[in-house]
Amino acid sequence: MTPAPSIRALGLLTGAASSGPVGSLGRPERAGERFRRATRECLLALAAVDAMLEDGREAREAIAGDRTALLYVTAAAYGASNREFITRGGGGTHFAYTAPVVVPAEVAIEFGVTGPYAIFVGGAPATLRAIRHAAALLDDAVCDRALVLAVEIFDECADLFARGGRLLGRPLVEAAGCLWLERGAGDLAFESRREARAGSGSGPELLSCAPLAELDASRRRPAAEPLALSGRWRGETARLIWPRPPSRSSVA
Amino acid sequence: MRSPERIAVMAAGVVTPIGQDLESFWSSLLTGASGISHVERFPVSNLRVGRAGEIKKLARVKSWARVPDCRATRLLISAADDLCAQARFRPLPLDPRRVGVVVGTALGGVEEGERALDGDRRRRLLRDALYDGPAYNLARWLGCRGPVITVSTACASGATALAVGSELLREDEVDAVIAGGYDVLCRFVMRGFDALRSLTRDEVRPFDRRRSGLLLGEAAALALLVRERDAQGPRLGTVLGYGSASDASHIAAPDPDGQGLERAVRAALLDAGITANDVDFVSAHGTGTQLNDRIETAALKRALGARAYAVPVNSIKSSLGHTMGAAAALEAIMCLQASRHGLIPPTLHLEEPDPACDLDYVHGTARAARPRISLSTSLGFGGCNGALVLEGAP
Repeated sequence: MTPAPSIRALGLLTGAASSGPVGSLGRPERAGERFRRATRECLLALAAVDAMLEDGREAREAIAGDRTALLYVTAAAYGASNREFITRGGGGTHFAYTAPVVVPAEVAIEFGVTGPYAIFVGGAPATLRAIRHAAALLDDAVCDRALVLAVEIFDECADLFARGGRLLGRPLVEAAGCLWLERGAGDLAFESRREARAGSGSGPELLSCAPLAELDASRRRPAAEPLALSGRWRGETARLIWPRPPSRSSVA
Repeated sequence: MRSPERIAVMAAGVVTPIGQDLESFWSSLLTGASGISHVERFPVSNLRVGRAGEIKKLARVKSWARVPDCRATRLLISAADDLCAQARFRPLPLDPRRVGVVVGTALGGVEEGERALDGDRRRRLLRDALYDGPAYNLARWLGCRGPVITVSTACASGATALAVGSELLREDEVDAVIAGGYDVLCRFVMRGFDALRSLTRDEVRPFDRRRSGLLLGEAAALALLVRERDAQGPRLGTVLGYGSASDASHIAAPDPDGQGLERAVRAALLDAGITANDVDFVSAHGTGTQLNDRIETAALKRALGARAYAVPVNSIKSSLGHTMGAAAALEAIMCLQASRHGLIPPTLHLEEPDPACDLDYVHGTARAARPRISLSTSLGFGGCNGALVLEGAP
């Protein structure tokens, strides 16, 4: 059992579920030449971190340095840049932006985050694992704070996702979120099981961002019960249980 | 703070351009064999460089019935077949729900994505095209029902996978983990590195003053991890520690000062509970680019101090190409083999050492030495730096 981290702040951006086959988030504006070539998923990641800092009422310097760990999760955000490079070609910079690792790299560069990192590829269970991994890093004192960043975009590959219906059978909603964790108290429980045919659930599909959306919603409810976050992906059902629910309300 | 739990490496399996099992890979490294050749599996005529470490024919697994037509999956299964043959791990000797798979990759199933976009309408391609698709195919082949995790920290992915696999064991979520890395050569990645002008028309010459770039390769490398207290019988060694750090410098180039790598090495030594003086051997990332080798040398000197000059250093990327997501796992396995056999493989094509790279690089022929503790370093796109500390079996 790993000690449960406390939640310092959460930033979350989500598309509108009713706006078409994909609830799109669009391309955030960001000033600066460096961002001209950045992909949409990178810019959404930066916007999610901005939203998290706003939620925590903190300046960007608060997360800079080597005592901040950065854990990134995505199931499919790289699809758009991969497709663009495959079908239209491009130069070396464009190729570099096809790697999932570039999303947290842009965050690291923009906010000066130089601590430990990891990148998990998968849906909601991967995010729950990333939160647990963050808790372990905090417990091991290799960092003072850990950011769990998740980004999913679908617009550019909506036709491909429609073809892969069995895997992604629900309405897709784009999202980007960033969770700021610090050392906390109590035990964090994690459960996971894989079944040959696990149901895919109902409602809009946010993939790796789903647990952060669930967490965001829970912050608006009375904090009486332990907080349980859950998620499914490729036959795995995972659950993460916090001993005490977070109390701060989201502003993102 | 959790008590440290040592993680034993019980067995390993590989498929590489210089050998499709652990022992042939090892003997090829020792004898200085090269796996670099002209790429034949897809057209490369419009690229500046059409050579790489290509596996010409996957020869190990006799039947691919019920295995998806996905090269990434087949590389993984080839390496797993080698591992399972040594460890007698298939059929699984444990409760399948207590066996996990953790693999690292820089590219996942991107080649399936290329095929899907090229008009192949098979629905299965899209599942395999997601970066975590091949890991699930491997888990299915193994028959394991525990967690299936894919990590993607570019060319440090294999190291991250071994660390995350160790974490699963420490958390007692599983009793055994198959962990490692893989990546395939495909048009996508050859075009990309060609556009970056990172590929050399010469041989790959890590730490040589004439070095002019890297060549890519494809491989899969897997290790069977268990908690040391649960380990029975002979083992290859132990994962002692891991460290990672971001450069926060550039998306495609390493930090020119190598500070991220230095932090990763220091963190790995701390995690392992050792000092620089305990390190006996360094398996360097050693890509053969001007920048990487100079930065890595400087970072090792700062992180290890005087010890950096006293320990042998090698790079095996000149033998088989840069195998991306597989590289760190392959190099970790190479470290354990060096301890086991008392030999350190040479850095192929290192003939004229660069004065700026002034460590004790092993070149020419294999060196007789039996390192107990090895440090393996990895750098990747996005400023990823990873370092593993491994201990060979006594």
